[in-house]
Amino acid sequence: MIGGIIVKIAFLSTILAVVLYYRVHRTQSSRWLLIARNCYHVATLSLMTAAAVMLYLILTHQFQYTYVWNYSSTDLSIPLLISTFYAGQEGSFMLWALYTAVIGVFLMQYTSKKDYEPEVMSVYSLIVSFLLLMLIVKNPFEYIWNTFPNDLLSSGPIPKGVANTVMLDETRSIWARFPVEGKGLNPLLQNYWMVIHPQVLFSGFSAMAVPYALAVAGLMKRDYNTWIRVATPWSVFGAMVLGTGIILGGYWAYETLGWGGFWGWDPVENSSLVPWLLCVASIHTTLTQRKSGAFVKTNFALSILAFIAVLYSTFLTRSGILGDTSVHSFVDPGMWVYWLLLGCIVVFTGIGFGYLFVRMREMPKVPVEHTIISREFALFLGAFALSFVALFVVIGTSSPIITTIAKNKASAVEISYYIKTNLPLGIAITFLSGLGQLLWWKHSKTKSLLRSLMLPTVLGLITTFVVLLLGSEEFLILLFTFCSAFSLFANLQVGYGIYMGNPKFVGGSIAHVGIAVMCLGFVTSERYDDKKTVSLEKNRPVEALGYTMTYVGYRPYEGEKYAFDVEVEHAGNKRTVAPTMYYSDFTKGVMRHPDLINYLTKDFYVAPLSLEEGGGIAQKIELQKGHQATVDSLTVTFNDFDFDAFQRGAMLEGKEFSLGAQLEVHDGKKKTPLMLLMKGTAQEQEFPPVPYTALNGTQYEFMLVRLIPDRDDKSKSKVEFTVKKKENKAETLVIEASVKPYINLVWVGTVTLVVGFFLTIIRRVAEARSKVQTPDDE
Amino acid sequence: MNGKVILAIIVIVAGVVIGVTNFVESNVEYADFATAQLTGKKAQVKGEWVQDQETRFDAENGKFIFHMKDDYGRMCRVILDGAKPNNFEIATSVVAKGKFDGDVFHAEMVLTKCPSKYEGDSEAVKKSL
Repeated sequence: MIGGIIVKIAFLSTILAVVLYYRVHRTQSSRWLLIARNCYHVATLSLMTAAAVMLYLILTHQFQYTYVWNYSSTDLSIPLLISTFYAGQEGSFMLWALYTAVIGVFLMQYTSKKDYEPEVMSVYSLIVSFLLLMLIVKNPFEYIWNTFPNDLLSSGPIPKGVANTVMLDETRSIWARFPVEGKGLNPLLQNYWMVIHPQVLFSGFSAMAVPYALAVAGLMKRDYNTWIRVATPWSVFGAMVLGTGIILGGYWAYETLGWGGFWGWDPVENSSLVPWLLCVASIHTTLTQRKSGAFVKTNFALSILAFIAVLYSTFLTRSGILGDTSVHSFVDPGMWVYWLLLGCIVVFTGIGFGYLFVRMREMPKVPVEHTIISREFALFLGAFALSFVALFVVIGTSSPIITTIAKNKASAVEISYYIKTNLPLGIAITFLSGLGQLLWWKHSKTKSLLRSLMLPTVLGLITTFVVLLLGSEEFLILLFTFCSAFSLFANLQVGYGIYMGNPKFVGGSIAHVGIAVMCLGFVTSERYDDKKTVSLEKNRPVEALGYTMTYVGYRPYEGEKYAFDVEVEHAGNKRTVAPTMYYSDFTKGVMRHPDLINYLTKDFYVAPLSLEEGGGIAQKIELQKGHQATVDSLTVTFNDFDFDAFQRGAMLEGKEFSLGAQLEVHDGKKKTPLMLLMKGTAQEQEFPPVPYTALNGTQYEFMLVRLIPDRDDKSKSKVEFTVKKKENKAETLVIEASVKPYINLVWVGTVTLVVGFFLTIIRRVAEARSKVQTPDDE
Repeated sequence: MNGKVILAIIVIVAGVVIGVTNFVESNVEYADFATAQLTGKKAQVKGEWVQDQETRFDAENGKFIFHMKDDYGRMCRVILDGAKPNNFEIATSVVAKGKFDGDVFHAEMVLTKCPSKYEGDSEAVKKSL
């Protein structure tokens, strides 16, 4: 329970930090500043301690804690065991809170030098306190007997020979049992991506709180301009980390989860994309404010909205409100979490927009000095389009809520909704990201603009023409291709010029090149992909999509998982892929993982569908005592049940038992007795299959379904069983093969984008450090 | 200035129109088999798998074929593009998304609803004692 107490200490410290920092802001005296700082540090240290305790509990398999029992087990490797820390709701909130708190320590140092500390830290501490409140409401340190009191608590003396017990109350002799093994980690998450992806994503989520805190601090201080310089490095940092997290998730989905693509417009994915889009939009509009002082309100609004989007996303994906409409199973966390998440949104929207509304009238009105052909206007339109994408994605993701309100029936939108709404915006965004770089601030001279447009336009057209030749006739896709290629070449051209002048300023161009390359990759891999379902009989080569595939058999790995080896021959090149399938007790279903071959110009992607072992179809038969049924050439008689008093007693006591039904198979003149069994306990039974080979060589498999005893008239008792005829067909692996051309562009683009962000951070940090304002000649 | 305002209005109106039409079009409603067949539109039908009817994977075409009874008791042959969905046998109900082609329901996706397999499962805790 120590963990729970530490969390409460952390929560109280942040509340104190909020109050004291706010006091410092109101009184403008530094009397309480040191104590406020210490409160924040105490909170961070407490939270770190709580996290360490949690990690210790997980690593030492303390299954008396519900969370540890729920998500881990003793058979996990150490990295996976560590990752169970954030496999569930409570733990992932803890990770989020932890990263937010730690970032706050750096933020405190940073803002104290910028004369921004009390305001920023009062808002920021409030954010941390809300995250901690979540951990109090949904306690990750709950004992398992408090979660399941009816099943685990007992009173009286502890009987001898019962292991894993703990005496809770000596005087009233109340004691509890606790599990020896945990439920384990969902096999979908048992992957190295689970170790890295959530960490990056939650760092990104945490970083989004910083621009929000700085925006509100700017409003508190009535400083409508300099806050931007302080905030920009953080916004770019947030965009970089969150963007990396998103794409890592996409790669995970593509490479191991077998979604077939890197983006499925799933609520979980969407909800991390929206804050990213808004953050990127704000990075662009702040550029204009630096230059001309315009867009003051827009910049406040976007920075506030990016954080609200994080909260709204969290609400959507964690409150259970999407319910049945998502492929992801969201656990309903209970009413408290639901209302707390909703409260979070209301409070932080209220603070952000409330302040903005109050201060709006005081803000300087900046006369518009730019024309339509200016960089300001291109930036504005670009940010506008980005925000629109964010809005469309939010509306699409919220569809179950909207339709519930409108029609009282929740339904989700199809993926086509996202593509149709976002494609026109994507065209605008890629075009503007090229054009904007070629335009001058305030006003561009038509003649010089036309000259700089020449090269990118021509190269863009050539690219589009190549794509056209390859076979697309969709106009919007071609337009998107042109705009992406145009943006690529425009940014290369501008980037080269900037690099020659001042290499430090080249980050923006590089980021745009990355986005353009990614967009081209989207087109080639998603619009020109080829897909085919193929049945691969063992050892018989099959040709599909220009690849010759031979299924050579399966082999077990990691216990009861199976890898299916398929030799792939393409252009004289032989490689082996090994997609996997296995039955998972955790999900009670078949898990399938794809495998792929990464060529320079394409991926060959093999997703397993099923293995046909020549099984045939089972026939279900119900028989009354003494009656007969015919199966092909066989006659089956049900003679009697087989259970004696001893077995019945065992069943009633909840111990292991085995019951059976005696059958007799007449095969021509041969009579064979068959015993169909049912083994297990009252909670869980097994039905072992019984093989039978007929005289004509056909193989059958009998299996008990249930026993239907009739208490009044024993002769009317019945049995139900299945008979499966085994067919002599070769083992066949069914796969879906697909070719994804130039998917490497997506990954190359991603890396380029991150590099661009990184260079921009370096530049903006240097700028925020220097007192002198550097000229913006980007 | 005027040009910009007009441009902005055009963009916003176009955005709203694209958004609303697509939202309405791509929202697939829940229906029963009768309604889905009558309208011929894409729909989501909730029901139960009928165990004693033909249930098999057509390996040649990569399609999973089964029979499903909707909440009003009407049974229909369903052909799913792809393999048997996870948890199919133990699902308490299934939701098929697709549309009718004659008397056959062509599903592009089948979701399975399972008995509580997640946290709060006191059966699971008893098992792991």
